[in-house]
Amino acid sequence: MEHFIETIGRNMFAIFGVLALVGALLMIGARSAIHSVLGFLFAMLNIAGCFLALEAEFLGVAQILVYAGGIVVLFLFVVMLVEMSKKHEGEVFQLQSRYAVLAVAGGVALFLGVFRKAIFGASSPEALVLRPELAKGLDVAHQNAQAVSRGLFADYLLPFEILSVILLVALVGAVVLAKTERV
Amino acid sequence: MPTPTLTQSIVITLIQCLLVVIFVFVVVPLTVFAERKVLGHLQQRLGSTRVASGHIGVTGWMNRGMWKWGKIPVLSYWRGIPGLVGDVLKLILKEDVIPAKADKFVFFLAPSISMVAAIVVFAAISFVPGTFFTFPTWFPYLGGLPVSGGISDINVGLLWILGVATVGVYGIVLAGWSSNSKYPLLGGLRSAAQMVSYEVPLTLSLLAPVVLSASLNFSEMSSRMAVGMPAWALIPQVIGFLLYLTCGFAETNRLPFDMPEAENELVAGFHTEYSGMKFGLFYLAEYINMTVVSALASAFFLGGPWLLPFGLQGLLNPYLPGFLSWFAAPHAIFFVAKIVFLLFTYIWVRGTIPRYRYDQIMAVGWKYLIPLALVNLLLAAVIRCFVV
Repeated sequence: MEHFIETIGRNMFAIFGVLALVGALLMIGARSAIHSVLGFLFAMLNIAGCFLALEAEFLGVAQILVYAGGIVVLFLFVVMLVEMSKKHEGEVFQLQSRYAVLAVAGGVALFLGVFRKAIFGASSPEALVLRPELAKGLDVAHQNAQAVSRGLFADYLLPFEILSVILLVALVGAVVLAKTERV
Repeated sequence: MPTPTLTQSIVITLIQCLLVVIFVFVVVPLTVFAERKVLGHLQQRLGSTRVASGHIGVTGWMNRGMWKWGKIPVLSYWRGIPGLVGDVLKLILKEDVIPAKADKFVFFLAPSISMVAAIVVFAAISFVPGTFFTFPTWFPYLGGLPVSGGISDINVGLLWILGVATVGVYGIVLAGWSSNSKYPLLGGLRSAAQMVSYEVPLTLSLLAPVVLSASLNFSEMSSRMAVGMPAWALIPQVIGFLLYLTCGFAETNRLPFDMPEAENELVAGFHTEYSGMKFGLFYLAEYINMTVVSALASAFFLGGPWLLPFGLQGLLNPYLPGFLSWFAAPHAIFFVAKIVFLLFTYIWVRGTIPRYRYDQIMAVGWKYLIPLALVNLLLAAVIRCFVV
């Protein structure tokens, strides 16, 4: 019993990973847009499970909060508002499939290199930290949020701020689109 | 103290889950009953005092009993409690109608999402900091092992609660969509918009306790917000508490913000097409969500398992004489009492304030509550930065 539970606990990441893939396949394969969104939600929750299995609780919960709680709800909202008949829906959704296949193939080719190195290459003994003096006295396993915030606001401040500028641009763009439509 | 093995700790967790489920299934029916009675008395009538059907048989005997019961002063308020059994039987035994054009899978999925999201939140809520009780040594298999006050007091407990609670919105939206009928769809859309917008001020108002207590762990936050800080630093959080409560009412779709099921506009909103136990799950989920919102409010603003709210306990503690020291320590019973009081407040507000119009709800959320929550957060940050 003890051994069995331990084995499951050790393989939790793999279990959640496989479930996430199942969710992704459901998302691609579903006929109705709402079922697609549900598959996406399932995949997102399982990715959160993957993070939790890696003891990255903050990331896992942020995944639920941001993707499952925010973004997918908005998807659902849009899909429900843009009501399409079943047949028309299929045509619209499969309009881009050949380009999508091309893009995915390119992405896979690019990422295979990364994955090959990540899986088979020698792993570095320590994580890449630019300012290790800030990490002193930080118990990463129990201070997840603090560790992530150190990464964001000390080690990688500039990339983080650039990301937020991109979000700001998107926001302004959304406002502009909404305004021009109304006039 | 012995450390539990893996299997033992799983058994203990299952016991905690069972305790939480028992707590929920005791509190929820009693809230439903209290809602009838309190609303009745607020509207100058008696509420339920009998069970349905006439003078004969079991129900007749019960009704005669309850007539006599009505002459006892305080107990007379509890007449009609056998009606709860009838309610549950009705929910379980009623025919489960599925509309012909409904999306059957999603129609089935929606109530379960609502219910699961509502109850999984309890994983991170800790009723008492530290140990709740210890098994006596004679207990088979688990003798001498401690049971902690929460199922899993993880270091990002608050985020877990907020995250899982937001998943609950899918239940309502999907129910509205899958019924394939216009009132449920409108109800579902309204609720998606309302819940997503009110999540912002809700989270902002909960950020003030996070800033003040410098933690995201549930029990740490509640203990620091109760006794860990000087009272005058926490008293401004009265505003935060009122803000949180307002957003909580909106988030649980209760009056005065019950847009998704506004009866006179949308029949019954998102659950118009639901019947039987599927409707029952929505009903349960609503009341469990109310309990969760009350639990958060009582933990972060009303002092949690300590007696006094807003950090006043810390003022009182040094002056408590020895024989009253029981009141200085945290007890699950204080926590539960505060939850029950807030549930009463829910009913009280429902009986007092009429429903807002839909555009008014959105205006209140975006134009008043969010700026107020930001000001409150700024206040908390200033207190945290310069004073504490």
